[in-house]
Amino acid sequence: MYTHRVYYISIISIYTVSSLTYSLLYKHRSQPQWSVLTHSGPVGGGCPAHGAVSRLQARRHFGVSRCLTAKAPPARKPRERVEIPGLERITYAERMHYVPGLAKPVFPDWERDYKDPRYYWSPPVHEMPLYKEKPCYVFNQRTSVLEGVRQALWLTKTKLISGLPPHLISVAENPANQIPDQDERVQNAIKHARFWDTTEERPRKEKYSNTLLINLIHLCATLQSSHPAIGRRILAEKYSLAATWKRGEDLFQIRGQNSLLHNCMDPLPAVSGSQEVADTADHVLETFYPVSPTIDLQKVHVYKEEVNSTGFRADYPYPHAHTLYFLEGADARCKLHPEPFRANMLMFTFGNALARAHKLYGPQRVLDSPVTVQAVGTNGRIFQFLVFQLNTTDLSGDDGIKNQVWLDEDVELYDFAKVRPLIKKKQVKVPAGLAGYKPETFKKFLALYLHGAV
Amino acid sequence: MALSCLTRALRSLTVSQPALLSSQVAAQCKLGAQVPTTVGQHRGFLTTAALQQNKTFWKKREKYTIKPIGMKKTGGRDHTGKIRTHGIGGGHKQRYRWIDFQRLRYEPGKEEQPFEEKVVEVRYDPCRSADIALVAGGNRKRWIIATENMHAGDIIKTSGVIGRMAVLANEGDAYALGALPVGTLVNNLEILPRRGAEYIRAAGTSGVLLRKVNGTAIVQLPSKQQVQVLDTCMVTVGRVSNVNHNKQSIGKAGRNRWFGVRPSSGLWQRKGGWAGRKIKPLPAMKSYVNLPSIAAK
Repeated sequence: MYTHRVYYISIISIYTVSSLTYSLLYKHRSQPQWSVLTHSGPVGGGCPAHGAVSRLQARRHFGVSRCLTAKAPPARKPRERVEIPGLERITYAERMHYVPGLAKPVFPDWERDYKDPRYYWSPPVHEMPLYKEKPCYVFNQRTSVLEGVRQALWLTKTKLISGLPPHLISVAENPANQIPDQDERVQNAIKHARFWDTTEERPRKEKYSNTLLINLIHLCATLQSSHPAIGRRILAEKYSLAATWKRGEDLFQIRGQNSLLHNCMDPLPAVSGSQEVADTADHVLETFYPVSPTIDLQKVHVYKEEVNSTGFRADYPYPHAHTLYFLEGADARCKLHPEPFRANMLMFTFGNALARAHKLYGPQRVLDSPVTVQAVGTNGRIFQFLVFQLNTTDLSGDDGIKNQVWLDEDVELYDFAKVRPLIKKKQVKVPAGLAGYKPETFKKFLALYLHGAV
Repeated sequence: MALSCLTRALRSLTVSQPALLSSQVAAQCKLGAQVPTTVGQHRGFLTTAALQQNKTFWKKREKYTIKPIGMKKTGGRDHTGKIRTHGIGGGHKQRYRWIDFQRLRYEPGKEEQPFEEKVVEVRYDPCRSADIALVAGGNRKRWIIATENMHAGDIIKTSGVIGRMAVLANEGDAYALGALPVGTLVNNLEILPRRGAEYIRAAGTSGVLLRKVNGTAIVQLPSKQQVQVLDTCMVTVGRVSNVNHNKQSIGKAGRNRWFGVRPSSGLWQRKGGWAGRKIKPLPAMKSYVNLPSIAAK
């Protein structure tokens, strides 16, 4: 009740003297305005209105209720500031303390004249030196594209051929190219990854998929005695890739890292001949109206134009990317579903090939000798094999020569690797240990590994 | 801090009028009654720390996202901490999926053109009775309320154009009311154009477009009440999904607790006269149209 009264009085007083305070609160620069303002409005209220004295009496708060302490009313809108041209507010700046009735001074923000990285504020986006009007769509290792492989095919202007090239597979069928005791050693590699690699009950997926991949690569590398070309390779981790291309009117970039890269001193031979490459001109790219192909790609305005980098220096002795290895659980922050995972593989393989082609041939449109890069993706049980051949770097139009990709998806290396048997209704459905090993899958893995070395 | 609290509290206990400084008196005479009290409102004795309030930071977002947003449970309390709604509390943790109720939201750069979208996914939503659908079109994705027969892979159309002929609409398409034939089953009704759907959003509900008069349309709501809205209001054709929602049995009291509903008091009360059969006339038609009055013409 007390507060009600106070509000009431203050409202009245504001009404009565509003015109007067108005004239007092502003310094007047022009004389005629001053005279007009002073004579307008009722003059009165030089002294406080009735009740103002009692209002000055201290209010007592004996009770502390929750209303007084914890109540946080919704934030009020800040009062509208009226700026009258030609008038300047009288502020309490020179008095250096708050004076009721005078305006709050507004000072310019203090800027430090030295550089302190702890308090660095980046400039707004449109004032950055790399800002461009035209957006760029960036694909990185965490991008999960909606349409999956189809979208990646459109972005890279690629023709999809399911299954690996047959002459690649036949390499691994040859007993001369196989590892002695191949199946047994592969099964041991799987068992090592799934059972023997930990002191815990069972290793986690991130661990065993990585171990399995390293084991299989190591197993393949034992063929170096019979195939000395294998020794001309090296593995690289955490390399950074950047590739730029145009598709239609839009600008695209691949930026980021994938898990493992097998580099080679010699380039991979082309998989398909020139006749097959010429035939790809008839292929029509699949579109997915009403979804735009740029969906889920990051749209940025601050970027470097024409950046193409394989992630290695120019004098690196192993310049050619041979095979990219992808692990599904490598990035704990981003779990990709199988379809976006394959799209990710395709995009990064393409990016490696494109960056290499730009370095080798410059702005040449249709490549005389295509650039071939392979990729293997795994989640510890299921493998994806991919061979990519970059035929052209002219990607802006939908016609003409296309690139080619051979994709073998969802190949299982084994069915089950159980630490404990699966028992349903008191019957052992799946026994403990490794079950359902498929030797063809490792042959495909070996074929991709031996590609270029046989 | 404690000392200042104590002195302030003691000052509030003084009976005599606080002494005014001479400068303040002068200012008071000059400025009239603008001077506030010298003793500001302050807290009294604080024996405990201030309570944590119900802050709703999770609701305050500028940019649309399809990612589920973590919610904080209110337990029926408002921002002051008092119970605003009884019987709320506990339950399974839920996340909020931001529904875009304004179906006719053009993509930037493609205004005033009808557009199509593809349904990516239809799924359960903990925050409402109806199912929701993730649709993708152009360069964006958004959640909408799913209609009865919406499935992943469907193409749905949205158009704000009112042509001379009534359109042949498929279920899930969104049109302005003026473009639809009379008698269409509709849902997600806007009451003011471009404001977003506010009516007919619950599971299994649908309204009927009764007639179109003079730039307005009259729609019968699921409660049989009729509303009159402008015919540029957007509406989705068909019936809202999760039709069997009203037939599901909760099964046990504990399941209600999973939904975050607390038990009612259980006090038995004899039914009175309110419980019998009544026949009431329908309420008058509700108009959301500001037609110019005859006098104004």
